[in-house]
Amino acid sequence: MTRDWWKHLILIIGVIIVIAPFYMMVSYSFKSPGEIDRGEGGFFGQQELMVAPRCVALRTPGRDDIAAASSRFAGASDAEIRDALVAEAEADCSIRPVVFNYTQAFTEAPLLRYLLNGVIVTASIFLIQVVVALPAAYALAKLRFWGRDAVFGLVLFCLLIPVHAIALPLYIMLAKLGLTNTYAALVVPWTVSVFGIFLMRQFFLTVPDDLIDAARMDGMGEFAIVWRVMLPTAIPALLAFAIFSVVAHWNDYFWPRIVVTGNRDLFTPPLGLREFKGDGDGSFFGPMMATATVIVTPLIVAFLLAQKRFIEGITLNGMK
Amino acid sequence: MAELSIKNVTKRFGETEVLKGVSLDIADGEFVSLVGPSGCGKSTLLRIIAGLEEQNSGDIRIGGTSVAGQRAADRNLSMVFQSYALYPHLSVGENIAVPLRMRRMSGLQRLPLLGGLMPGARAMARAIGHDVHRAAEMLEIRHLLDRKPGQLSGGQRQRVALGRALVREPAAFLLDEPLSNLDAKLRVQTRAEIAQLHRRLETTFVYVTHDQVEAMTMSDRIAVMMGGRILQCAAPDVIYEDPDRIEVAEFIGSPKINILPLEVGDDGRLSLLDHALNLAVIDGTRGVASLGLRPETLRLTRGKSPLRGRVVHSENLGAEIFVQIEVAGLAERVTLRAGPEKRNTLALGTSVALDFDIDKALVFDADGARLRKLRHVTRATAEVA
Repeated sequence: MTRDWWKHLILIIGVIIVIAPFYMMVSYSFKSPGEIDRGEGGFFGQQELMVAPRCVALRTPGRDDIAAASSRFAGASDAEIRDALVAEAEADCSIRPVVFNYTQAFTEAPLLRYLLNGVIVTASIFLIQVVVALPAAYALAKLRFWGRDAVFGLVLFCLLIPVHAIALPLYIMLAKLGLTNTYAALVVPWTVSVFGIFLMRQFFLTVPDDLIDAARMDGMGEFAIVWRVMLPTAIPALLAFAIFSVVAHWNDYFWPRIVVTGNRDLFTPPLGLREFKGDGDGSFFGPMMATATVIVTPLIVAFLLAQKRFIEGITLNGMK
Repeated sequence: MAELSIKNVTKRFGETEVLKGVSLDIADGEFVSLVGPSGCGKSTLLRIIAGLEEQNSGDIRIGGTSVAGQRAADRNLSMVFQSYALYPHLSVGENIAVPLRMRRMSGLQRLPLLGGLMPGARAMARAIGHDVHRAAEMLEIRHLLDRKPGQLSGGQRQRVALGRALVREPAAFLLDEPLSNLDAKLRVQTRAEIAQLHRRLETTFVYVTHDQVEAMTMSDRIAVMMGGRILQCAAPDVIYEDPDRIEVAEFIGSPKINILPLEVGDDGRLSLLDHALNLAVIDGTRGVASLGLRPETLRLTRGKSPLRGRVVHSENLGAEIFVQIEVAGLAERVTLRAGPEKRNTLALGTSVALDFDIDKALVFDADGARLRKLRHVTRATAEVA
């Protein structure tokens, strides 16, 4: 053991604290409701066949069913036929808990639609944020104009305003424009990212002025410089910004909950989790956690990929 | 190809006046160096010529027409930067092609994917590729065309930057300390190559440097700048042998020229360390003046001399030695250039006497201006006086 063992200990404790909720989420998404309630079954659960309660409820035999089935069960009384039918239904509805949870996640709510909405909303937000932030950051970092420092001061000031403080005025404005329950309501308020402007400005400050002057000598206008010179050199910074932006808006529950009222076609993935909140007829933690797992998976995959590019972007730097 | 004309250009950054009325005429095909210590305004002047910076007053003419208010892109000038300023995300070939693409292709033809489908784009791309290859061949970097700037050495990047500058045949080349980031050996080699390139292209070159050796070896004319002014602009040998001001004499020449204090007597006669020289001023200058002596104009003597001292330091460069001599009565050491055969007679601590050729001495007045009107005083008249 090295002398630094205590550092590792602290890091390990930190990792456990961060990982624990994910562990619970993934574990619950594998288990049967009984195992979740009783807190048993380890990580994967026993995966014993369970009976899907709603499936059985849907097949509760009525008088017509019993009459129709009487030919199959010759000589049996109605009560016996009914029991036999229930047993059949239970056999048909028997299912492994993991399969149950994940099929429920995709069938109880239009999860694919929600995921698509999430992609549309986060991608639109990020693209428009880049379109706005890059020229703004370039001007703030590299152009000399009257009032530049004041404008940058405003950018810094805007960083201090919490979203929730201006949520209500924003909602009222969107409502007056008749934009609630549209994609625009989900996207427009986030298109100007002061954080993005700030981050990209700080990065552009490190780009040598000579490079911009060379581009000017080569015949580029200022917008051409932004898109043809600054954008390609800023890929690592853009990836860092993308992680912040996409994670924040993919996971956002607050804002979609405010501006999307009722129209389930516009639900983003976090709103989809609401489908499984237990209303009187028991809890649906299994399917709910399966949904949560499905929702976070794209983010984790994207992050792992971006992280690799991110490091490459920093090390393969041709500016030296 | 064009001549450049700079008239009374001034530039202020806030309170500081960087250029105080600079005028300079550069002929078509001439190689002019702007040389001076850092902060003298030489780079600012170059950037004003390029259009990257706007002058506060004065006029720039390229090929006879004023370029006032014209964007850098429209001035048809090429610039090579100290940091090379290559686009890191583009290959060498693409870097060299950028100025041609920006000038010859329309916005639609430049689009990343659709551009190739636009009418005429293919033929245009072929023509540009041809020109890029020609430029690369001239600079012997054809084998590097597919590499990224990050994979090149400093000297190779320098060539790519030159290639990007010369590919579109500009009216003039502006070079801003292009050799400063190279190591000493490569600098000497590239220096010769740039001079050859200039002879071959016969285009106007304006070359900014703080290195007087670069200026001396490459230029047709050198403009020595200090404190926002051009002190003197002339051919290298004139700048070296016949400087107008003491600052010019001190800046050009390595090791530095020896500046010795002179007294101007009432009759105009000059004396050095209370020793009368055979030289007198003819205008009304009296009081203090300075005598400039290049290290190679000094020689050892056994006779009478006001310059007597002790060797305190010597630098052996193989083909020559530079000896620093502490002379009694002088605050600064005097530097002597001698052949290697003198090495034994110039050991540390040796007492020596120095003589010089009065015709090669440069006399400056108290303000540093050169005094050219001098008369020789024969020894006889001196003794009478």
